[in-house]
Amino acid sequence: MVKHDIVIIGAGLAGLRAAFEGVTAGLNTAVVSKIHPLRSHSCAAQGGVNAAINPKDDWHHHAYDTVKGADFVGDQDSIDMMCAEAPQAVLDLDKMGCPFSRENDGTIAQRAFGGQNFPRTAYAADRTGHAMLHTLWEQAIKYGVHVYDEYFLMEITSDAGRATGAVVMDIRSGKLQHLQAKAVCVATGGYGRMFAANTNAMTNTGDGIAHAMRAGAPAADLEFVQFHPTGLLRSGILISEGVRGEGAYLIGADGQRFMQKYAPNKLELASRDVVSRSMVTEINNGNGQNGGVFLDVRHLGKALILERLPQIRQLAMDFEGVDPIDQPIPVRPTCHYTMGGIRTDKLGQSIALKGLFAAGEAACVSVHGANRLGANSLLETIVFGKITGKDMVDFVNNREGRDGVATDGSHAVAKVSARIAALKGRPREGGVRQNTIRDTLVNEMQENCSVFRDEARLNQAWAAIQTAKAGLAKLYVDDKSEAFNTDVITALELENLVLMAEGTVATAMERKESRGAHSRTDFPTRDDENWMTHITAGYDHASKGVVLGRDAVRTTGNPQYAPAERKY
Amino acid sequence: MTTSQVSPQTTTLRILRGTVTNGKLVQQTQDFTVPYDATTTVLGALEYVKGELDGSLTFRRSCRASICGSCAMVVNGRSRLACKTKITDLLGGNEGKNIASAEATVGDANVIEVGPQRNQPVLKDLVVDIAPFYQKVKDILPYVQEGPEQEEHVTKDSFSQVNMVSNCIMCGACYSDCTAMVENPSFIGPAALAKAYRFVSDPREGNKTERLKELSEKNGIWDCTRCGMCIDACPKGVAPMEAIVKLRSLAMEAGITNNDGARHAMVFKDDIATWGVLNEPFMLLKTKGILGSIAQIPNALNLAKVGKIPNPFPFDHKVDKLDEVKAIYAELKKNPLDVKTKAADSGPGAG
Repeated sequence: MVKHDIVIIGAGLAGLRAAFEGVTAGLNTAVVSKIHPLRSHSCAAQGGVNAAINPKDDWHHHAYDTVKGADFVGDQDSIDMMCAEAPQAVLDLDKMGCPFSRENDGTIAQRAFGGQNFPRTAYAADRTGHAMLHTLWEQAIKYGVHVYDEYFLMEITSDAGRATGAVVMDIRSGKLQHLQAKAVCVATGGYGRMFAANTNAMTNTGDGIAHAMRAGAPAADLEFVQFHPTGLLRSGILISEGVRGEGAYLIGADGQRFMQKYAPNKLELASRDVVSRSMVTEINNGNGQNGGVFLDVRHLGKALILERLPQIRQLAMDFEGVDPIDQPIPVRPTCHYTMGGIRTDKLGQSIALKGLFAAGEAACVSVHGANRLGANSLLETIVFGKITGKDMVDFVNNREGRDGVATDGSHAVAKVSARIAALKGRPREGGVRQNTIRDTLVNEMQENCSVFRDEARLNQAWAAIQTAKAGLAKLYVDDKSEAFNTDVITALELENLVLMAEGTVATAMERKESRGAHSRTDFPTRDDENWMTHITAGYDHASKGVVLGRDAVRTTGNPQYAPAERKY
Repeated sequence: MTTSQVSPQTTTLRILRGTVTNGKLVQQTQDFTVPYDATTTVLGALEYVKGELDGSLTFRRSCRASICGSCAMVVNGRSRLACKTKITDLLGGNEGKNIASAEATVGDANVIEVGPQRNQPVLKDLVVDIAPFYQKVKDILPYVQEGPEQEEHVTKDSFSQVNMVSNCIMCGACYSDCTAMVENPSFIGPAALAKAYRFVSDPREGNKTERLKELSEKNGIWDCTRCGMCIDACPKGVAPMEAIVKLRSLAMEAGITNNDGARHAMVFKDDIATWGVLNEPFMLLKTKGILGSIAQIPNALNLAKVGKIPNPFPFDHKVDKLDEVKAIYAELKKNPLDVKTKAADSGPGAG
């Protein structure tokens, strides 16, 4: 057993930002990551990070745009805090050495993003997440954060309502160990891999959220899944909203723009949920091609494309075989971001399990509510990485975490060890291949629980989840070895993903209205009277399934935040 | 090659698999038949093998969009990202192999050979131990430091040099294909040096000269052989060798010339400018000094044995059109390699 003050699971932007707070406060801080920190999916974020830095801008406007974008089910105190802290959080990163793009006078350059009233998205060319991630990794090295590189989370341990640490597997050797901690933070990102078409990395399987649920910390907002309008048609690889920010058009198979029909003011830069629904409607009405429409940048000209969108051009050429200078890029709405996560208070601590914190996409603080604005996700990682990191430091130094909880993790390690042995021991005969379970699950989720939902489809998705759960009990692996057993890792990731899918379908069935990214064709309007609330999803060990609950939306009494119709 | 629509087309993946037992690596190739179409990548084919045929096949992967750097491996003799390499670009002589691979079955157009990265210990199948690679990155102190050379004001163009190298995703492809690394495993390598250049070229960095001094030491910038393999290998267009060349120029400009590498570069230049050709024995003498040169005698005898020792006599050693050589130098003096402002590629071999 190893002891740390703070153990953070996940080494993307939120995890590394939280680690920065822990280590610079002098606490023994460790980060656990199943892949090298620089491989974290934060690196794929292209467009930028919102912050009212410009003196002509106002964070209150940013906050209003966010409340509205969230379709009024985001937590207003967290949103206010995020938008007010945003400029400093960006300047922190700049000071650490992040090479943000500049204006002529040296100020940080900003571009327009969807659903906002001001061009407030700071960026580093079209690799903002990559630049920020490398910068925070550099800081982790500078200050000596202990990184458990290529260690996989097996269980979050708890004792009498307190998180006590984590059981992790050293992937390289297959050995298990318990890391004891006074505070545990989950920063493992989202779980978008549950859909067949997604922009996510293959590692985005919701491990931290699933384990937090099992440890007694419920999730919330799982029904809200963001479909990004412009994933590449074949691979789902992301084409940034920044491209539309630079002036790109969406056109149908007929070669004409269509967004004027759906969002006459904001057009292509309406909120993501609005644009995605418009695209699917066009495709369903026969104005698509091979199940997609097109993103057109030809009119922006070669020079601009080469200067500001070089990576985008490369992605289109590598993965779609199209040079955007000459041809429109085939795109379709693609699962991009999961608004749901571990339900926390304003500062990032679980509402149910003391000492368990969450930050970034894995958390439901909830600053995105029913729909996240573009470039608010990078912002959430650096603001709440910082705030939650500071709160953990305070928890460890001044509150319940001070004395820690002496837990001998050997019992938990033994349990986990037995689980792995059982998995490896399952016979091929009569068993199910993990690929079979995964393929069926993601296709069913795509078909029945994506941009448009209704009761019949959701019932079908629910049946698919039950089939997947039955399949997991018979799943066998080919690789029985100890060292670098990725066959076992992917099987365990699939278990986590199935739980996240169960929570998503259950909450989507529960919410009988349409709000933000959750669009029920059988309940097409928003119902503020009954559904201005978060739906929570916990894990019930007896029934081995999710249990739903409610948690109130945190409001500030600001009259401007009163629900209004969302128009763009 | 025809782009026929008949499906499913199949090809053979010949994978160099390996396991470590009692500290000893045992490797052998295994063939798998995989279906493919115009968009199938090597990663897609590997996922097919793992998912449908043999779950024990082990490799790293994550983003599948050439930005996380997990899946660099050797494909048909070259280090590449599996997620970015399409099957159809490899088949039927669609691409030339630039390194003869020991395992290659030359001429089999429908076989794709996949193996782990080079210059790093293999842990299992296509997974190598990345710790030494990252240790070298850590050794260059990869973070902006406060110090006397820090510039407060940043402009629009301040990061043009930084941006040239900050595309790096640390996939290790350059490290895997580095020929200098084969000779000297302690060489810190192209990725770490490109990362170092990212800091030296950042106006906010406070210890640029100190960094250049460190980098001019043994295993640093002067250990690169400028073969250009890292430029070919890089999937993100970083051109690490360019960065190394720029670091050398900056180091010499800063007067950091008291080392073999810088002396060698200066003698090299003087020789060519004076004679139009190299005068190896004199070069050795001027670079390493008398004692250093004597120490090289066994090396020279070895070279002589295989017929690789040049004319040892410093006479009759001049090219015909020396005026043209001098004109090239005059031109270079007028338009020196820009190491400070523009990010434009200067092309392989610059400097």
